[in-house]
Amino acid sequence: MKKTSSVFYWMTIPAFILFFVFHTLPALQGIFYSFTDYIGFGDYGFVGFRNFINLLNDGRAFDAYIFTFKFAIVSTIIVNILSLLIALGLNAKIKFKDTFRAIYFVPYMLSILVVGYIFNHIFTFILPEIGRNLGIDILSKNILGNMDLAWIGVVILAVWNSSGFNTLLYLSGLQTVPDELYEVAKIDGAGKWDQFKHITFPLIAPFFTINIVISMRGFLMVFDHIMALTQGGPGRATESITLLIYNGGFMGGEFAYQTANAVVFLIVVLSISLFQIKVLQKREVDY
Amino acid sequence: MKKLALSLTNFLLILLLVFTTSSVFARQVELEFFQSKREAVTTFNELITKFEAENPNIKVIQNQVPDAETVLKSRLARNNVPDIMGLGGNYTYGQIAAAGILKDFSNDPYLAKTQLAYQKMLQDLHGKKGHYGIPYTANANTVLYNKDKFAELNLEIPKTWEQFIDTAKKIKAAGGTPFYLTFKDAWTIIVPWNSLAANLHGENFIEQRLENETTFEDRYQKVAERIYKLLDYGQNDVFGYGYSQGNQAFANGESFMYIQGVWAINPILESNPDLNLGAFALPAVNDADENMLVSGVDTVLTMNKNTDHPEAAEKFIEFLLEEENAQFYIDEQMTFSAVENVFQEDPTVVDLKTYFESGNLAPFPDHYYPSGMQVPNLIQGFLHEGDVEEFLNTLDSEWNKVQSR
Repeated sequence: MKKTSSVFYWMTIPAFILFFVFHTLPALQGIFYSFTDYIGFGDYGFVGFRNFINLLNDGRAFDAYIFTFKFAIVSTIIVNILSLLIALGLNAKIKFKDTFRAIYFVPYMLSILVVGYIFNHIFTFILPEIGRNLGIDILSKNILGNMDLAWIGVVILAVWNSSGFNTLLYLSGLQTVPDELYEVAKIDGAGKWDQFKHITFPLIAPFFTINIVISMRGFLMVFDHIMALTQGGPGRATESITLLIYNGGFMGGEFAYQTANAVVFLIVVLSISLFQIKVLQKREVDY
Repeated sequence: MKKLALSLTNFLLILLLVFTTSSVFARQVELEFFQSKREAVTTFNELITKFEAENPNIKVIQNQVPDAETVLKSRLARNNVPDIMGLGGNYTYGQIAAAGILKDFSNDPYLAKTQLAYQKMLQDLHGKKGHYGIPYTANANTVLYNKDKFAELNLEIPKTWEQFIDTAKKIKAAGGTPFYLTFKDAWTIIVPWNSLAANLHGENFIEQRLENETTFEDRYQKVAERIYKLLDYGQNDVFGYGYSQGNQAFANGESFMYIQGVWAINPILESNPDLNLGAFALPAVNDADENMLVSGVDTVLTMNKNTDHPEAAEKFIEFLLEEENAQFYIDEQMTFSAVENVFQEDPTVVDLKTYFESGNLAPFPDHYYPSGMQVPNLIQGFLHEGDVEEFLNTLDSEWNKVQSR
């Protein structure tokens, strides 16, 4: 084996330093604080595992986990179905293909907070108006003010916002599928559905994996959506973990306690991502 | 090449000269004034201009950011403390004061110019002996009402809880909306809650709760029942609208009453300057003489214990406390002054004056709830579900949980 020039190692140093100072160090600091009773400023002392033990008995954190997972799973499924469909459509030979591709990507480029306020307006004024005119009782009130429905409002915003990005990934995946395979399939008399099931889907499986992992991870971190729409309300119906950490840690003076929560959450997200990659990669094929 | 190097050195020399001379001339002290009230930015700017004219060698830079308390806390975490601060007199102030980073004003003569009741309120927040802030202005938790609409139905300001509900009933019977409730924003629920709790939770509730001598379950039954009652007299979809929509709606005359503090008066008048509105204290009890107005320190002035320019910072605080300037501030902001002999005479809030004269004032109960409890959201949840027992149990268990951390 040829020896790698040491220049390449030196080239990684700047990136490594930046990553270490701005990412690893704060993370380590956070882990350190999770073993203290720090309130964000002033003096503090060590409390051992007390924060973690309190966390186990915290019904509010439990509810936040339930909400976050419900939201993340539902959003991930909808986003992936939707963006795969859009990608299939945009990959076909249609007119104005490039224009459509650009349009579908626009929502992803907009700031969630800005879009969130627009959606807030839609949910508060426009949707109830439509609901009243059509005589649909459940739509005639702001769904964000309804404890059972508010989370659906958040899902709608999240799906609308992030589908564009996943569509892009699926599109690039579809372009890796060689045309000859379809020709061969046609000669063998395979229908559209069979083509999709036996050629397209298996071949874009790596993209499916990455899409699922990325969107799941993103949705587990949901924050701005909720900030713009409900601030966690009504009651605590849409309080996600990140929102709980922010609310309790910065507003509530429970800095150390919520840091402990963040450490636990980090481990959870990490293990879910690893699990997904392991399971989904088994399904990938290579022709 | 040599020429270029020469001109470069010349250029650098000139730059150096410019900077050193300018810093010699500008022997100016720069102070950061961090304050948490967005509505007060222009008023403070005018006062700062006046102050800078009187003290040409001091420059005060006002800093107002959204979500100021959170920003301040994260700055404190980095040990980056502003020179002068104007904060709300609430739980957060108590935490910061208790952390020992603020100056102790106990021996300063200008502290004595302010009302004792408010000094005491601030002390209760941090539970220490010193005075780590100076009360500057006070606000009031009120019910705003549309005077013209009240006149249409010949209604009077209700003095007792029964009259209050009767008034609402009459308005509803006449086809009007008694209250515009903005319960999408959880914090707005705390406004009626504070008036009810301050009058109904009995004496020394917070102290006794801290000592585990009493519980929410024992003392808050009536508070919960009465706040729930308000839902009957709101507009359609009370959980659908928030604070800014409420201000707008009340300004447009969509409801007779609007349960908000005096801080909402200016934003409302901005959207409709012709609105004829007044404010009264929410009558939480049935004995009119016992009813108390909830009033707290709206702005507490304080400074960094370790600021580089203590004299200049103190000078600015003293300046703000001068009667003339205090009067200017409350006239602009429609608040009440904590400085003695400075009174709010505006006709809009004239109905509140008796409370200030008689001293029937109570502090904001929610300023003493640990903010980690997030009481507003708990009440919001309760108003959705309506189970008083379960709600009071939650309050107690959340209190215990937060205290044990």
